[in-house]
Amino acid sequence: MIELFDVTKRFGHETAVDSISLRVEKGELCALVGTSGCGKSTTLRMINRLIEHDGGEVHLDGQPVRSFDEVALRRRIGYVIQSTGLFPHWTVARNIGLVPRLLKWPKARIRQRVEELMQLLGLPVTEFADKYPRQLSGGQAQRVGVARALAADPDILLMDEPFGALDPITRKTLQHEMGEIQARLHKTIVFVTHDMDEALALADRLVVMHQGRIVQQGKPIELLHDPVNPFVESLLGGMDRGLKEAALIQVSERMLPLGPRLLASERIAYGATLSQALSVMLWHGVDRLTVVDEEDIPIGELSLRRLLGANAA
Amino acid sequence: MGEGRQAPNWVLISLMLAAGAAWLTLDVVSVAPNRIVPGTPHVALGILGGVPAILLVLPMLAVTLLAWHPTRKGLWLSLASVTGVLTLLPLWLAAATAMLVDPDLPQARVGLGSAIWVLLFLLLLALIELRTRLGLSRPMGWLLLIPMLLAWWLSLVLWLEPLALQREYQARSDQFADALLTHLTLVGAAVGASLILASLLALAMRRHPGVRRMGFAALNFLQTIPSLALFGLLLAPLAWLASRFEGLASIGVSGIGWAPAFLALLGYSLLPMVRNIHVALEEVDPAVIESAHGMGMSRRQVFIQVRLPLALPVVLEGVRITTVQAIGLTAVAALIGAGGLGTFIFQGLGQAAMDMVLLGALPIIALALMADALIGFLSERLRPGGLE
Repeated sequence: MIELFDVTKRFGHETAVDSISLRVEKGELCALVGTSGCGKSTTLRMINRLIEHDGGEVHLDGQPVRSFDEVALRRRIGYVIQSTGLFPHWTVARNIGLVPRLLKWPKARIRQRVEELMQLLGLPVTEFADKYPRQLSGGQAQRVGVARALAADPDILLMDEPFGALDPITRKTLQHEMGEIQARLHKTIVFVTHDMDEALALADRLVVMHQGRIVQQGKPIELLHDPVNPFVESLLGGMDRGLKEAALIQVSERMLPLGPRLLASERIAYGATLSQALSVMLWHGVDRLTVVDEEDIPIGELSLRRLLGANAA
Repeated sequence: MGEGRQAPNWVLISLMLAAGAAWLTLDVVSVAPNRIVPGTPHVALGILGGVPAILLVLPMLAVTLLAWHPTRKGLWLSLASVTGVLTLLPLWLAAATAMLVDPDLPQARVGLGSAIWVLLFLLLLALIELRTRLGLSRPMGWLLLIPMLLAWWLSLVLWLEPLALQREYQARSDQFADALLTHLTLVGAAVGASLILASLLALAMRRHPGVRRMGFAALNFLQTIPSLALFGLLLAPLAWLASRFEGLASIGVSGIGWAPAFLALLGYSLLPMVRNIHVALEEVDPAVIESAHGMGMSRRQVFIQVRLPLALPVVLEGVRITTVQAIGLTAVAALIGAGGLGTFIFQGLGQAAMDMVLLGALPIIALALMADALIGFLSERLRPGGLE
């Protein structure tokens, strides 16, 4: 659990973070969003004390972070940054094993842990263990970055725009995998991003920051429905909010069992989102889709009325 | 460009044509009965009936033709041709010497003419061009020189005794070994001491911005003093020190000799060394340093395990520049009685004996090239992430 009480940070005369309070529950993924310079990265770095706060208190599991030795504190917290920050003179395996080595784990245990993580992140050990960072693609390097952050199995993970430098397709893949990893590991994660779709897709709690203050926080769906002001509304997509929300809901939540009618000709996977379903309807000019499972076997149907949220078929 | 046909390689073509022309028209050797009398110049066509000289031109012509439509195979053939000419050259010279020098004149000597120097220069350039085109590594490039060096060594030992350079060497071979050793010791000591001093300075500069401004200003100023002036400036204070403290005088400190030379070399070495170490340490990717701290490495761990190894290749670049510069500067140190290979240069200039100048200058050039190659190789090996 991470708690911030009235935390303030000033750089010279400028107040980067202005008296913010925030509570991230254990196992929760909290996304900090906002325009550049809104103080979200500074907030993140005050948690692992890469930046020291000037006022207020930052607590970790009920204890002020200042009470820990900063080096010991950081070894308990995974840290992922946009540019990966991998050590170019170390192999992938050595990069991933960094924190366990700092914690003086026995060699065999480190090796085992590194292999475990490479598998988790989809990096075949034989192919990647001995490569150097410069031999990796952007996506592979960021996988190594995430694996390195997870190496000592920290409870807390801080991620600063981890997928911001990747191409859209790689970014989507990694976001998806990140969601799956989080569903398995239940880490407490603070995630900084300016990609609203990413934040909506991954976050349990969304925190919107502006000029060093928290403007609004809550569940993504709450913010979509009730933005407190035009700034939050426009940040969340303005008129596109309907589609953004639809992107959060899976087809399987709205589909109905197969009825007596003929199967609709166009199909959609049950794991797809409502926004994708709407897109398929728009494209083909139809108001009914057949929902199929992974093996392309029809398991239900989705009408436009159901998609819009009506109860009747 | 259809069918993989490449445009003509104009570099090789012009190098080869120039080399051929120089070889056939310029003086190849000059023969003098003794050290004092100016020699009689000879062109290549006038020696040994001219046939061997023509034969030596043929490989160069071949390279020119091959360069018209360069292919990989053609490049390899060219490489063999150029290496061949470079290897045959000393053998041709040995034959020419045997013919031109009267065995009854023990003082007779053969001086190398402009054709030889121009030919060597152009052919070595061609070798570099071929090495680049073929994508050979630097060490491979040095291996290519082995046949040529062997041929020169063999010729010098067996047949080229009348070569003026060789005569100069034989007249003072002990002195030469001494000078070489002094030269290397001075360079080694200056570079070593400046590496240590520069490291400490660079570390202090990273801590205190004030030291950084002052330090760079002082070092920049030092660098602008002409070397001979700096030797002169050191003369008085060192002489004074030696007269005040007997201990210093007893280890050889005086206004002239090794002490001022060492100090001046050290002074000149400091700026490039400090600048490189400083830049190397500062320019390590800040994201890497941030993530190192973020992962929970202590300051010392970040410095030793991350910053230093990543800075090392750039630091070595500094050592390379400094060493090459010091090898050249040490030549001037001979003027204040510090010894070294410069001694031959200045003595030779005094006696108008160009071959003696060469006896000092050639090894200095060779040393500089060797240091450059060796340290460059080392710094390449230490690049992060191993070799490409």
